[in-house]
Amino acid sequence: MGIIEFAKSPWGQDVPIHIFFYLIYVAVIAGLTFFIGHVIWLRYFAKKEEFADSTPPGEVAKLPAEIKRHSLPARLFHWVQAGAMLTLLFSAFLPKVGVRFEWLQWHWIAGVVLTVSIVFHIIHASFFMNFWSIWPDKIDIEDAGRRWKRSQGEKAPAPRRFGKYPMENKMYHLAIVLAGLSVTLTGFFMLFRIRTPLFTRNSYMFGDMTNGLMYTLHGLAGVGLIALIMIHVYFALRPEKLKISRSMVYGTIKREHYAEHHDPKRWVAEAE
Amino acid sequence: MAVIRDVMPAFELFQPATIDDALNLLDKHGSEAWVMAGGLDSFDWLKDRIKRPSVVVDLSQIKELTGVKEWNGGIEIGAMTTLTDVVRNPIVKEKFSILATGAESAASPQIRNQGTIGGNVSQDTRCWYYRSGWKCYRAGGNTCFADTPTAINREHAIMGASRCVAVNPSDSAPALIALDAKMVIRNKSGERVVDAENYFIGPALDIRRMTVLLPGDLLVAIRIPSTWAGAKFYFEKVRDRPVWDFPLVNIAAAMKVNGDNIESIRMAVNGVAAHPVRLTAVEASLVGKPRNAASADAAGQLAIQGAEPLRHNGYKVPLLRNLVKRAIRGVEEAKWA
Amino acid sequence: MPININGAAPAGLVVPKPTNPAEHKLVGKNYMTPDLMAKVQGKSKYAEDYRADGMLFVKLLLSPVPHGRVRSVDTSAALAMPGVKAIITVDDLPPPASSLTDAGVVIAANMKANRGLTNEPMYQGEPILAVCAESELIAAEAIEKIKIDIERLPFVVDPFVSLRPGGPNARVEGNCWVSPPPPAAVAGAPAGRGGRGAPPPQAEVKEIKWTDADYAEYESGKMPMGAPNTPEWKYGNLDAAFKNAALVLDETFMSPNTSHQCLETRSAMAYWQNGKVFVHTGTQSTAQTVPAIARWLGMVDEKKQPDVSKIVFISEYTGGGFGSKITGDISLIIPCILSKKLGGVPVMMRLTREEEHFMGKARPAVTGRVKVAFNKEGKILGMDMYGVCDSGCYDNQGDAQAAGRIASLLYQPEAMRLRTMTVITNTPPRVSQSAPGGMQAVAIIEPLLAKAARKLGVDPVEIHRINAPEGKAKFGPGAGPKQVRGYVTSAYLKQALDKGAEEFRWAERKAKSPQVQGNKVRGIGVSVSGYSGGSVGFDGLLLIKTDGTVCFQSGIGNLGTESMSDVHRVAAEMLGVPWDKCEICWGNTNKNLPWTCVSGGSQTTHAMTRSAYAVALDAKQKLKELAAKKFGGTPEGYDVANERVFRKGGGSGMTLAQAAQYAIEVGGVYDGHEPPADVNKMTKTSIAAMAGQGLVAAARDKAPHDGQTYSFAATFAEVEVDKETGKFHITDFLCIADVGTVIHPKALGGQVLGRSTLGIGHAIGQKWVYDQHYGLPLAKRFYNNKPPTILDVPAGSGNMNWAALDIPDPETPVGARGIGEPPVGGGCAAVLNAMSDALGDEIFRRAPLSADLILMSLETGKAAGEHLTAHV
Repeated sequence: MGIIEFAKSPWGQDVPIHIFFYLIYVAVIAGLTFFIGHVIWLRYFAKKEEFADSTPPGEVAKLPAEIKRHSLPARLFHWVQAGAMLTLLFSAFLPKVGVRFEWLQWHWIAGVVLTVSIVFHIIHASFFMNFWSIWPDKIDIEDAGRRWKRSQGEKAPAPRRFGKYPMENKMYHLAIVLAGLSVTLTGFFMLFRIRTPLFTRNSYMFGDMTNGLMYTLHGLAGVGLIALIMIHVYFALRPEKLKISRSMVYGTIKREHYAEHHDPKRWVAEAE
Repeated sequence: MAVIRDVMPAFELFQPATIDDALNLLDKHGSEAWVMAGGLDSFDWLKDRIKRPSVVVDLSQIKELTGVKEWNGGIEIGAMTTLTDVVRNPIVKEKFSILATGAESAASPQIRNQGTIGGNVSQDTRCWYYRSGWKCYRAGGNTCFADTPTAINREHAIMGASRCVAVNPSDSAPALIALDAKMVIRNKSGERVVDAENYFIGPALDIRRMTVLLPGDLLVAIRIPSTWAGAKFYFEKVRDRPVWDFPLVNIAAAMKVNGDNIESIRMAVNGVAAHPVRLTAVEASLVGKPRNAASADAAGQLAIQGAEPLRHNGYKVPLLRNLVKRAIRGVEEAKWA
Repeated sequence: MPININGAAPAGLVVPKPTNPAEHKLVGKNYMTPDLMAKVQGKSKYAEDYRADGMLFVKLLLSPVPHGRVRSVDTSAALAMPGVKAIITVDDLPPPASSLTDAGVVIAANMKANRGLTNEPMYQGEPILAVCAESELIAAEAIEKIKIDIERLPFVVDPFVSLRPGGPNARVEGNCWVSPPPPAAVAGAPAGRGGRGAPPPQAEVKEIKWTDADYAEYESGKMPMGAPNTPEWKYGNLDAAFKNAALVLDETFMSPNTSHQCLETRSAMAYWQNGKVFVHTGTQSTAQTVPAIARWLGMVDEKKQPDVSKIVFISEYTGGGFGSKITGDISLIIPCILSKKLGGVPVMMRLTREEEHFMGKARPAVTGRVKVAFNKEGKILGMDMYGVCDSGCYDNQGDAQAAGRIASLLYQPEAMRLRTMTVITNTPPRVSQSAPGGMQAVAIIEPLLAKAARKLGVDPVEIHRINAPEGKAKFGPGAGPKQVRGYVTSAYLKQALDKGAEEFRWAERKAKSPQVQGNKVRGIGVSVSGYSGGSVGFDGLLLIKTDGTVCFQSGIGNLGTESMSDVHRVAAEMLGVPWDKCEICWGNTNKNLPWTCVSGGSQTTHAMTRSAYAVALDAKQKLKELAAKKFGGTPEGYDVANERVFRKGGGSGMTLAQAAQYAIEVGGVYDGHEPPADVNKMTKTSIAAMAGQGLVAAARDKAPHDGQTYSFAATFAEVEVDKETGKFHITDFLCIADVGTVIHPKALGGQVLGRSTLGIGHAIGQKWVYDQHYGLPLAKRFYNNKPPTILDVPAGSGNMNWAALDIPDPETPVGARGIGEPPVGGGCAAVLNAMSDALGDEIFRRAPLSADLILMSLETGKAAGEHLTAHV
């Protein structure tokens, strides 16, 4: 047992070919373990969330009842991406656990959809949204330290309110970016190895070793995404997070939630 | 670690005497078990140390798996019946001669004496990259070496490819599909019967297997219904050598004719895809049509719709077209003085 | 005896008066060869059939890469396995060393030669190390435990890829063999085969790349022709020939690389006893394998000559050689060295079919571009030939050069130029294969000749006839200051064509050819072919025992041609001994064998009937001398016949049994105590061992001859092609052999049709397939590389026939020439020409032909396939 399955290249060299597929189960178990761990932590160990500052109630009343959080294009992107991602995961891993169907066409088409949606997202986020709003900044890191210390019973100032995205959102996005870019970039080159109307087939763009590493990275990111998507869905469905989750459907959050958790100064308004 | 071929490694050999014993063994050893019929395919793999099962279940001692018997007006052929016995069987000859012709075109007399009908339909592909032990998709790897800009793929697929471009090499398979044969499969939990055309699967569905058989499954018999008994048959195999050679393309057709018109027809080809291909569109287009050159030409054109040749196998497209034509009109026998 | 002699004999050749062949008792008659029963009953023991207590087995670790360098090998885990006895690498083998032949000619050590094992593998499948263990299974498992680190080096499997600017080199030093100019006065001699001349100087490896301009016509299928790497040769006025031509054709043709496909792989077994090594393996010469083993094992005497005294070689049966086992195979030293290392225990190395594919060698493909000038009658005025030989990774193969000589012989162009390239590729080693170069010459030129016949409106048989060699036909380039061209002893190819045309009903068939019926079409083809057919100067040795039986000592390899027995029928006939009183002693150098030719280059029937003739003369002379001693008078007063030596005209005499007894009493030269001075050292050793057992006769063949001995064949074929599938088959086949006197008709027929079939294989499907990206072979098994089967030839329908002219060669006392090589090219080209007759001239530009190429040609209207890509 290991992470990477090796095989003999035609020249008799040991080259990686892909991950061991039992890692699918490892990822699922990791996801489930996280749920359980998180539930236990919340139930027995977590302290009430406190923020260093707040918006005075008078100011809150001036806010609209619904605060715009996700634009329509952003929401569309999310759901397209979600659909593609789930299609990709199921088409990739169901055959590996014994469900026989013609998975490859679902997989590559979903892969192309995902890739296009990511390209759209990068452009949209760079030019039409506040690009930096999703990346952890100095305050986020300081506050993460504060939260940790406070959770350990040490003395630390209360953390400040978030910008548009809470720290865990940002961390999750970072993980998704890494995993997503890994699968899409490797997946893009894999498109040259199968029959699609897009490219002329050429399995020899890279050597055996590079190919093997590419498949390995694709697989690792893929099983990583199993866990990540499980966690994502878990959080989205948690009762206390539903207030945020609904914004991915309706585009807005309630002003009370906004005022409590978000610092208007750190939440820079974006173009539609 | 160095690689060596052509020396059979050690394994545990079981020679069960009954189907039940065989199924118990297959159930117990799961994917570690290798089912061996005549051994013609198995020994290649084993000797080359490419497939390394720890357990080999040799079916040669199971008497109930051999022989041809009458069944519902048709016949049931035990999976371990040798190709020679199939070819020589009087009922096969009389009613289902296309199967005799197909089976007789396989390999060489020596191989047909040893090779079985079950083995012939369940054999693995002969793609020379795969058979050389290259770690291709079919072998669990990540490349099809036969579908690259420089690959030598004269004997590979022109249709039904999905990453893997290997072809099914069976000569009896298309004949069985033309006869609407039923494959009787048993495992520990019971028996199921699969139409011959659905017995074979392509790489899109499962790139590691050529048939629906999974670990624990055993093909025990092949039933041929009486439906096509005595129909007008056509079988032809095109190969490089007249003996001891796999098909480049083969074709099997069973046809019922009413006067000049084709009443019904079943047609299957092999050597063009990873599974034998039943030409359903061609069949549908021919029903009720006169059996003449025009129908044959149209059918030939229809058969190659969507064919996607590789660098070296473009010839299979006209070959398939011409074989379909011939299957409909029959060969014009050259009569030389 | 004497045997029929026609025509002019060279000066000094004592030509016995012709006799009526009907009076022959043995020569020209069929008989049961001494090895036959064992073969049909499965009792014959080939090298790998031997077993002995404690025998160990070898498996080889083969290179996985087409070219590389072994950086490190870790055998510790393998050696630690129970049952593993030893592992050797090239470092355990004796280094190549120079040696002397018994004629004093230096054989320089070839540092670039195949050594059996290597640290710089040159092709996938080259053995790197050998594991010796108690069983093959243990040895194989041990190999899987060996860690080997190989640095990959640049590789190339296609000569035209290597010759391109910037193309990879197969060897670190370069990609081509560059030959120094050949030594003078060897005009027409096949390089390195037969004869006793000085070996040609060793070629060197250099890097040669052609220019992009050279490749201008490559895509159109015309072979590029950059600067050649061997000295060009020419004769006649080529410019004038092309100027005066009625038709000029410029064609490129690619012939295939083909494995020898010996049914017996080159397995070998060896053990040591009392300082002697006993070696079992297949060979094409029992006698000459002994010095080869001595050279490979580094066993030389004080004079640097191979020391044969410590070698016993056993090879009673050989399952085919075809040029690949001329003196066995160097890999036999692996069990020899292992056995020595392990105290002499028998060590068996059985090679598998896959290993045989790698190590069994192959015919080099020669791609030829030939420009030929014809006059309007079809006579070839000039031929400008350029050949590129894919020489594999070891040994400079002379096939392209030989192809030029054979072309000049078979087609007798009035002017000719030859330029050649020998390119190194990372593919298995090449070696001579039946008609090396001759087969390729015929394959390259015959389609062109058939095309010319159609364009000029000349009958194909006639165009062959008009260009055929006749009598002491000249061939090859001139040599020496006067540019004297060599010539053959005799050629009756025109008679062969005439006889064949008649028996094949050529004119009748031609009148309606190509014959079309439905989607089938039939075509007919004719081809000539020829190759060297004999050498001279070897020894004959026989023993008349005291019971009157005659024992013929045969150093000829028993590779299925039956010449190891056939040639001695000449001596038996001359001595008047019935065949059932004759024994053939063969296959074991412990049994006292004489120095003998190798059965390569179709030498044996010619060379060894001459030796048989010489030894029979010696025996007769000794019998007469003994009779004269015993009964008085002069030897000339006695005659030998009917197992007796007796006074001419009747009177006193004695049986051979009595003469043998008397020879022992007289001793000296008569019972082997005093060997003739001029026989080979090996023969002398054998004579010494036989001394005192009866009348020992020994003689070296010194019968004069003038020309070089070549044999010929005229071959006819009819094919039927199915235009809807591209499938074709041969419906009729006939080969007429011009091989001099027929010694053993059945064996001759077997050779004529067997070698024709070998040639047919080149036309209809036998080939190599390489993946060029990895440089690895794909068609390693019979079902992939497709040697012809019995159903590929019309033998079953009785339509595969042969005949021999049976016209004796005037320059050899027996009149017989060799046959192995000559039919090969004809078998290939007669089929190719029949195919173009059926389908047209533009259907192919390479062999083999297969259904796919034909169907695509018919579909697209142009020659299909990638014309200049190797190994597809």
